[in-house]
Amino acid sequence: MCPSMRVTPARQATRFLLPVFAAGLLFAGVSPARAASQRVEKQFSVTGHPVVVIHNVASGRIEVKSWKNAHQVDIVGTQSSNKIAFDIEQAGDRVDVNANIVDPSAQPLELEANLQLTVPEETELQLKTETGLIYVEQVNGDMKLESYGGDVHLKEVSGYVIVKTTGGSLVCTQCAGKLDFSSISGNAQLLQPQLNNVNVMTTTGNILFDGAFIRTGLYSMRSGKGLVEVRFSSNDSFDLQAQTSTGFVDNRAADFLKPDNHKLRNYYSKVIHGFVGTVGAGLAKVELSSYSGTIRIMRRD
Amino acid sequence: MQCEDIELFLEQEGLEPLPEEARAHLAECGGCRNYVADLTSLVDVAHKLPTEIAAPERVWISLRAQLEAEGIIRTPIPVAIPAESASWWHSIQAFFSNRGFAAASVGILIVAGAAFEIARDRSPRNSTGSPEVARQMTPAPAVTSSSPQQVKPAAPTRPQPSASFTAPAEFASTAEALDDQEPLATGLLASSNSSIDASLRDNLKKVNEFIADCERHLKEQPQDELTREYLSAAYQQKAELLSAMIERGRSIN
Repeated sequence: MCPSMRVTPARQATRFLLPVFAAGLLFAGVSPARAASQRVEKQFSVTGHPVVVIHNVASGRIEVKSWKNAHQVDIVGTQSSNKIAFDIEQAGDRVDVNANIVDPSAQPLELEANLQLTVPEETELQLKTETGLIYVEQVNGDMKLESYGGDVHLKEVSGYVIVKTTGGSLVCTQCAGKLDFSSISGNAQLLQPQLNNVNVMTTTGNILFDGAFIRTGLYSMRSGKGLVEVRFSSNDSFDLQAQTSTGFVDNRAADFLKPDNHKLRNYYSKVIHGFVGTVGAGLAKVELSSYSGTIRIMRRD
Repeated sequence: MQCEDIELFLEQEGLEPLPEEARAHLAECGGCRNYVADLTSLVDVAHKLPTEIAAPERVWISLRAQLEAEGIIRTPIPVAIPAESASWWHSIQAFFSNRGFAAASVGILIVAGAAFEIARDRSPRNSTGSPEVARQMTPAPAVTSSSPQQVKPAAPTRPQPSASFTAPAEFASTAEALDDQEPLATGLLASSNSSIDASLRDNLKKVNEFIADCERHLKEQPQDELTREYLSAAYQQKAELLSAMIERGRSIN
């Protein structure tokens, strides 16, 4: 040993600090993290027809888009803090994504988790979130989308689409296939649809159908208190039945939509106001109703 | 170069590449080698630490004590609290300092309060209120004999959703079941001020108003099948909403 060596305060401090820092590092590794944005990215190989299941208990956006690669699912998750944890796993062709809150005392700003998925075109989706937008584009497959407060925007999707919200609204642009939508206060807008089966129900929201009715299609649109508005094309062919208990039927297409008074008498009693008519050969069937709102029928061209 | 020189060099220059003299000293001095190794480890560990670390409570206590000792800050004169009362008050404070316990306690109080209100509504003394409401709420008693003393007690009645409208007979059991669930659902979310919970409560209010509206209309127009369909759908939506509220309430509590 060096004869001049002695235990100086600096050496003492160093000896003391080393275990303290090491312990600090250990605790930092297991303790809830401070607010710091984090990103998770994963790729999964799939074959055939994958199923993606997402349950996001945090707030945030879920975005799903397709690509031509039929054998890979990409998931990118970003979170505002690590008081949320992503649990992502694959079982065969099913990919499950769960965003869980790991610290119940977290503040709302710390509970934001956004997910961005790129999936094969033929993918089945089951997405559930509490709030935040659900956006799906160019995916062909059955999908069930649920949200309490978040809106749901669909663009060029096809399949059997089920959307359930509490207060969130649906905007469905160029959607094809079959659509079921139910909500308490959410609105529904179906724009340029290619849907052959529509069942839309909202208690206080408004409904807008702007597009063509496919021949042999079945369309039911009901709003308890809101406005139900249909803008059809002059080339369409459908039978229409509109009824309301205490609301109003506003027929702005009387020239095209000829009332069928015989059916009207058969359908309605004194307590229900209604309208029955036909456009063209009456190939599709359209049922509109509102308990106390307005039903508006108009031509779009 | 001696050990003190090594310390001085490291203090001024850090763990930069050591000069030849220092390396020669380290080759002979195990103590200094250990010292340099310790410093290197400290720097490595420090680099791995997150930028923000909450200091332990004892650090703040120590710091405060030091500042007080030096007269830089002054401790406010404590209010004299009797030892016994301070003890129980601190116990309560300590108990409620845990947010989970506090939320659970509030939730339990709300649910207990709601249960008490329901029990009170169902108690016989409620029938001393408006005779009309009481008549609507209480099913006709099943008379088993002509003696009034042998009349079976009335079945429990459901609390009214928002006004004195009764559900049509075919919805009575559904309405009763939902009204039983409602205090639990609202109680679980009562302490939450998040926007999503506010939205759920707002939607519950909308559904209740719509149900009351439909019930009122059906009372006037019992043949209105369209309203009956809407009422049925509204009950279903209310059931799903209450289920969601209870599920969410349990998860956040």
